[in-house]
Amino acid sequence: MPSKASLFLGFGIMILSGGAVVIAMDWPWKAALFPIVIGIPVFCLAATEVLWVLFGSAPGDQAMDFQLSRHLPAKVTLTRTLQAGGWMLGFFGAIVLLSFPVAVPLFVFLYLKLQGREGWGFSLVFTLAVWALFYGLFDRMLHLPFPDGWIQAWIGLG
Amino acid sequence: MIDALVDGLLLILQWKAFAFMLLGIGIGFWVGLLPGLGGATTLALMLPFVYAMEPVEGFAFLLGMHSVVATTGDITSVLFGVPGEATAAATILDGHAMAKKGEAGRALGAALTSSLVGALVGALALALAVPVVRPLVLSFGSPELFMLAIVGIAFIASLSAQGGRGMLRGFLAGGLGLLVATVGQDPQAGIARFTFDSLYLWGGLELVPVLIGIFAIPEIIDLAVRGTSISGGAPPGRLNKGALEGVKDTFRHFGLTIRCSLIGTFIGIMPGLGGAVAQWIAYGHATQSARNAEERKQFGEGDVRGVLGPGAANNSKEGGALIPTVAFGVPGSSAMAILLGGFFLMGLVPGPDMLTIHLAVTFSMVWTIALANVITVVLCFLFLNHLARLTNVRGHLLIPVILVLVFIGGYTANNHYGDLLVTLLFGGIGYLMVMGGWPRAPFVLGLVLGKIAENYLYISVARYEAAWLSRPIVLVLFALAIAVILYPLIQARRSRSKGKAHA
Repeated sequence: MPSKASLFLGFGIMILSGGAVVIAMDWPWKAALFPIVIGIPVFCLAATEVLWVLFGSAPGDQAMDFQLSRHLPAKVTLTRTLQAGGWMLGFFGAIVLLSFPVAVPLFVFLYLKLQGREGWGFSLVFTLAVWALFYGLFDRMLHLPFPDGWIQAWIGLG
Repeated sequence: MIDALVDGLLLILQWKAFAFMLLGIGIGFWVGLLPGLGGATTLALMLPFVYAMEPVEGFAFLLGMHSVVATTGDITSVLFGVPGEATAAATILDGHAMAKKGEAGRALGAALTSSLVGALVGALALALAVPVVRPLVLSFGSPELFMLAIVGIAFIASLSAQGGRGMLRGFLAGGLGLLVATVGQDPQAGIARFTFDSLYLWGGLELVPVLIGIFAIPEIIDLAVRGTSISGGAPPGRLNKGALEGVKDTFRHFGLTIRCSLIGTFIGIMPGLGGAVAQWIAYGHATQSARNAEERKQFGEGDVRGVLGPGAANNSKEGGALIPTVAFGVPGSSAMAILLGGFFLMGLVPGPDMLTIHLAVTFSMVWTIALANVITVVLCFLFLNHLARLTNVRGHLLIPVILVLVFIGGYTANNHYGDLLVTLLFGGIGYLMVMGGWPRAPFVLGLVLGKIAENYLYISVARYEAAWLSRPIVLVLFALAIAVILYPLIQARRSRSKGKAHA
């Protein structure tokens, strides 16, 4: 799995840096200097990493960084990772479609009920508390502008 | 000088100035805790309120607020793995790893104490350094500042992973960060680079959604995968006892804390580099303090030195950044540029007058930084046990709350849905990096330094052509970059030969 992620990143960076250098060639030198100066070595380093993954023997040491938990079976890890990603994308979709003030309580409540399997009473009280924090702090105190969601705009509720 | 120092203290202890400082501390405390709400933004929002204040009151309010933001930002980083502030991201690497091992109290104790030490060193530097620092700042032109950026990336790239392969990934991550920083309108020719006809990308990628995504999302996914609390069900007793241990850690590694404070002060003095850079350089230095490759492997897995270094540096940089702001009117960071506006609003002109006629006001700033941090750290310690207990709350209760803060934090960058996409995109990249064993720190440093480095490179080439490469300080910094790259390789080679000799 780490090698696959490295290969994916390496290839991705090769394409990005190679593309960046090719695109930058058409710009005036003032604008092109930095992307070219950085893009060429990054492309070479990414190519080395890809070759290392494909033909090297050792997977390489872990970085001095946070490590993912690896004590669970791979299938469970994959399922839970996809679920977590799904919740995030779902929350993003809800924000865009329904706006923050609606999406926040909806997401918190559904997460507690469906993912956390909490009771109705606890889920409702917890959701209300989070919503009160959100509304009081970000809307009333800080006046962050939360535009209407696409659905509100579409049905003319904004 | 001593008279002015005492006068400065008396000025800040007047009830009105002190009350404004407390109000500023209160605001800064919460701004630091909330991800995405930046200290600089809050400083800008609060600037209009100083119109009616006396200079001492205004600076007590603004600096009291700004100087504690990084301190409380560390709390969010340690407990939830979400950077409370862009300047508190490096604390996540080891601080959050400690929280997951049930050592949240110790990590918080270390972060807060080192922050206090850092703030005091920064304040002392501000008090002492003005006559010394003038020639230093003036001797650094664009070529030297560009090389300083390169040294910074070399430093973190070579030290954040083990061996040649790790170094390759470190440099790749740093290079990617520099490349991502080129997105947006180019400052020299006005060309829209890699914007794909999107107006959102014209201003470049904001640091906050990128940082929140790359650090918070992998942690949230991992918490969801584990299905436990952050501390994995460690007994609460351990959390409570740890805070004092964290304080002791600061004094056990006092030399490191002081060195990292000095690094923060130095980076703060250098115009344009800022606090987001200081913490990473300090983290790199902390990893360098490992005596061998085995010990270095503990970084990222919960080594307290990885908390002490960034904690000290991101507070000491405030005192450092104030030096060129007060003495020359050259702001050391974006926050200082906003503060500079405060000088003019209150009828003061930065420069020689601040070191002669208004010296007592300058010293009142020194006292504000020191007192504000002492008060904040004492307050934090009072609530530390309660804060540390949050790591024992069930994961599925924390995840929705953290995600709400992550999305709102990301959104506050431009108040645009594009910010949320950027958060998610870089969350995905961060997850792949963690999965593949790539260090994230060099990427962030590359992103932070990209625009600054490009500007300095352009000016260096336009002004000196190739001759900038032969300037003495550039050569020294170049040699330093090479030494920084070679040092871990030599160290690893030595420990291998020692291992063979023992076998």
